Amino acid sequence: MESEKIGVFRVVLWVIGILVSVFLVAPIIIVMITSLNEMPYMEFPPHRLSLRWYRNFFTSPHWFEPALLSVRVAFATAVSAAFLGTLAAIGIGRGQFRFRRALEMFFVSPLVVPVVVLALGLYLLFSSLHVLGTPLALYLGHTVIATPLVIVIVLAAVRTADPEMELAARSLGAGYMSALWHVTIPIIRPAILSGTAFAFLISFDEVIIAIFLGGPDATTLPKRMWETIRFEIDPTLTAISSLLTCVAVLILVGAEGVRRTFQGRSAR
Amino acid sequence: MVMAGQRRPMGPGQAGFWRSRQGLLVLPPLIFYLLVYIYPLSRLWAWSFFDQHFTLEFYRELFDEPAYFKALTNTLEISFLAAALSLMLGYPMAYLMATTSPRARNVLMAFVLIPFWTSILVRTFAWIVILGKNGLVNHLLGRLGLIDEPAKLLFNMTSVQIGMVHVLLPFMVFPLYGVMSRIDPSLVRVARSLGASPRRAFLRVFLPLSLPGIGAGCVITFLLAVGFYVTPALLGGQGEITLVMLIDMMVNTLLNWGLAATLGIVLLVVVGIIFAVFSSLLGVERVTGK
Repeated sequence: MESEKIGVFRVVLWVIGILVSVFLVAPIIIVMITSLNEMPYMEFPPHRLSLRWYRNFFTSPHWFEPALLSVRVAFATAVSAAFLGTLAAIGIGRGQFRFRRALEMFFVSPLVVPVVVLALGLYLLFSSLHVLGTPLALYLGHTVIATPLVIVIVLAAVRTADPEMELAARSLGAGYMSALWHVTIPIIRPAILSGTAFAFLISFDEVIIAIFLGGPDATTLPKRMWETIRFEIDPTLTAISSLLTCVAVLILVGAEGVRRTFQGRSAR
Repeated sequence: MVMAGQRRPMGPGQAGFWRSRQGLLVLPPLIFYLLVYIYPLSRLWAWSFFDQHFTLEFYRELFDEPAYFKALTNTLEISFLAAALSLMLGYPMAYLMATTSPRARNVLMAFVLIPFWTSILVRTFAWIVILGKNGLVNHLLGRLGLIDEPAKLLFNMTSVQIGMVHVLLPFMVFPLYGVMSRIDPSLVRVARSLGASPRRAFLRVFLPLSLPGIGAGCVITFLLAVGFYVTPALLGGQGEITLVMLIDMMVNTLLNWGLAATLGIVLLVVVGIIFAVFSSLLGVERVTGK
């Protein structure tokens, strides 16, 4: 009787779990299928298949140029966020000074500040510095929102890494920078790499800062998509959405692969 | 270049010295944060108090106009509902992930992770494709003969909530799963062997132990929902104005920067209060997950 009840409970739980999974993933899959449609309007399920919207994306400068700008901004953001985030994580994880806890909270606080508010502040600042509507403005704004994530990821790695390793290197005569570079950094490298990948993705997909600070001259792919969704619906959006999802999945799988490789190596 | 072996090995005192120096690494990021994060926010703060010279005019305007107060309560209501719905869907999902086989867990985890890392814009657009006038749902309903003309499923509160919960759900599932996976399953088994019914064992043992996850998940989703911009702008109608929509209106149509800045500060203060209240209720460690 009791075990029967548990059986029913598990079945109900699985039904909910499957429904939630469908709710989460189905929209993305539906867009992917719609993107293969041949008609000049969106149709699901598509009657005739074609890749014309993908071709449209890669051949039209209207879409491709914003995509290139997005890649450039995201690359610069990823490198800077990785650098700043790693320094902050090592400083907080290894340094011994007062208010470390408070400083850590401060460093991750952009994660909860509404991006609209930050974008407003940056708009006021950048308009007086005349950098509004430049890739530089986007890069600076994106670095502020990407760095906290790198700090969270790398700090977790710094905390689990054994500090005695560095001390050992130091006591064997390694200089401070040398111990940092040859001992600490290699230990936390997987975390830095996945932090960099996620920083890239955050910048690459970011909409609000791109809208507020981009202006007409620095249009990223998300900004162009935003404008298109608002004013006309173009089936090219379905192709871009599928491509963006693939980029995200590739980065996710890549970061996981890096983590597993390094884990496997250290286990041996 | 001095060879490594020629250097004097350092004693414990020096170790402390070098350890303390590691803290200096926070300086470059700190300077960056002050210039590109704190300085712009303080500019925003200053803007809310100045119109040629010091004034409280903007704040008075906010308090005098009931529509602004309504926007605040709307924002809180919508965010609360979104967080509550995320909890209702996220709790069973996380529970399933924490109690099932590793293989099934990995599959479920992928179903949460893939949308989590997919662009918000893509996911919002997906709901337009599904719920739009010629979208999938209308197509199906028409095929089944349930409706004669396309139902208006977009640009209302329901579509905003669907879109928001879709974005927020992973932020609920991760902290819940994090806490649940660390609950010792033998505790529930002990309760059962001592005669508790499955329901009682869950309500008296598992649920209380998962409370930190519920707290963290609710704070994160609520805070994110308060600052949502993309989803309400693309899926919402004009009926329920939120603080963020007001800011957008001030900037893009009314060009009232003073009021926009003031609204931004109000939004920031609301987020700060929510965070402070929850973290004092739950303890900062539980909210930040450490």
